[in-house]
Amino acid sequence: MTSPSVCPDVGVWRAWLDHEAGLAADGLDLEAHLHTCPGCRQAVAELEQDAAFARATVGALPPLLASAGQAALARERLAWRQRTAAASRTATAAGRPGGAPTRTPQERITMTIARISTPWRVAASGLAAALVVSVVVAFSPGARTAAAAFLAQFRSQEVAAIEVTPQTQADITRTLSMLNNLGTVQGTTPSAVRGNEQRDEQRSVSLDEASREVGFTLKSPDPATLPAGLSATPRVNVTPAFQQRFTFSKAKAAAYFQSTGHPEVSLPDKFDGATLVVSIPAAAMLQYGNDASREALVIGQAGEIVVDVQGNVSLDELRDFLLGLPGLPPAAVAQLRQIRNWNDTLPIPVPVDKVHWQPASFPNGGQGLLLNDNSGVGSAAIWHQSGHLYGVAGSLKATDLKRVADSLAAH
Amino acid sequence: MLEVAEAPAAAGQPRPMARFDALFERFYAELFGLIYRVLGDPMETEDTLQEAFLKLSEHHELQLRPDAEVGAWLRRVAMNLAFNRLRADRRARARLERVGRLELAAGGASPDGDDGSPSQQVLRAEEQAAVRRALAELPERQRECLLLRHAGYAYAEIAATLGIAVGSVGVLLARAEHTFRVTYRRQTV
Repeated sequence: MTSPSVCPDVGVWRAWLDHEAGLAADGLDLEAHLHTCPGCRQAVAELEQDAAFARATVGALPPLLASAGQAALARERLAWRQRTAAASRTATAAGRPGGAPTRTPQERITMTIARISTPWRVAASGLAAALVVSVVVAFSPGARTAAAAFLAQFRSQEVAAIEVTPQTQADITRTLSMLNNLGTVQGTTPSAVRGNEQRDEQRSVSLDEASREVGFTLKSPDPATLPAGLSATPRVNVTPAFQQRFTFSKAKAAAYFQSTGHPEVSLPDKFDGATLVVSIPAAAMLQYGNDASREALVIGQAGEIVVDVQGNVSLDELRDFLLGLPGLPPAAVAQLRQIRNWNDTLPIPVPVDKVHWQPASFPNGGQGLLLNDNSGVGSAAIWHQSGHLYGVAGSLKATDLKRVADSLAAH
Repeated sequence: MLEVAEAPAAAGQPRPMARFDALFERFYAELFGLIYRVLGDPMETEDTLQEAFLKLSEHHELQLRPDAEVGAWLRRVAMNLAFNRLRADRRARARLERVGRLELAAGGASPDGDDGSPSQQVLRAEEQAAVRRALAELPERQRECLLLRHAGYAYAEIAATLGIAVGSVGVLLARAEHTFRVTYRRQTV
């Protein structure tokens, strides 16, 4: 190889630094040239500095590898989007973008929800439970109260994610269902949260009426942030406030633990007659829907969930007892115990197999969670701000949903 | 504690093309690593890749080209989408700061110590945000070349992705690294 008489250009020298100069150098002895050429030595020194700087900055951006599971979920999400895109093209080609037959409002909502696949519903369920306990209501009456009590062991001022797996969820449900055997439930569930069969309670009201019913000024989103095609006027439903009481009974508990082969567990004496009072605030749900697409958006707003104990037991003792119940998954218990301000933090169960979550900030100092279901069907946000609990869930991307959430303002 | 009735399994789901599936499987993880460097947020990264693969799914002829060619196309499209996201969003700065805070909160930041070579350290969250901002300022080809090289791609792969001769990678990279350094310094002053 010969030392080139004409200096190689910076591109050749840059490639040489990366041991990639093979072709570009074209047989030239670059090292020999460098020894004899001060100009190239200077150029190479500068290139090295620039390269080292880039390596220490761009090269040090943390990589994040997608697992096979994440990739599979992303594929599922993409398949859903492909189907949606194809369906939308078909509808447009048929010249009926709003092509669904006319339905009653109730049917419309039911249809919308039915079309949204499970992951979104699971994502939304954390939200719904926190806002109106409507999911919890799907349980048997006893379990419903128990679950509500468990959820509401905390005077809600902030929210925290509790990561759960399907197994964890099942364990928690089973354990809480068992609570029904430790005492008696009193209190009524308002008809509005009993189920969709209560048509009258599902009537839509104006935002002003709803504000009066919930006791604070409701917020609505900037219509410009709503997904295209959604009606700018929401259906507004209000779930009245209600209270449920759960009174522990030592005798009932003893009989139950005996019968289930756990005689070692007993209800401490001081729990006998103690009553857990769970006050669920009135909540308003703003529902934006559209027959023609899968788009749907729900905005929920409520006050605080408040829990009180009457009797000789403190809330601390009650919490310790509940968290110590046999059968509760240790991972979930550990997460609940890790919540520092447990008596004002509402735990939101996040099914980690289906939902990504991250903490997020909202306007006016609101702190909460942003949830994104892995299949791309939807996302949700839930946060606390100035004594009110807000939630937004919809069949849209988390980034778009966050824009809707950030735009909420009193109208 | 929360139980929601299972929706019926998606019936009549069309079986996606095997070729598309193979391409997805082959390139998804690689692209995720690359695009995450740009966006620093797993959700945004996934959203971006969804867009890129959705575009690919509409290019039936492209899917039949050799893997290397499709991979190059995907990298290019995904990087474009990612940088567009970063630049076009009026709230890019807010988001970068949010990502920074999240990573700090998650303990993702490295200690500030001077030990270890800089390239071995994970950048602190604010530094990452500054790097991404500076990258987004670079001309398209330069930033793509710079990102690919420092994400570990060989010159041949970079050339294929950018549609240039292998011999041209060095000069593009040299220019990109210099511009980057100047841009970064200017914006962090």
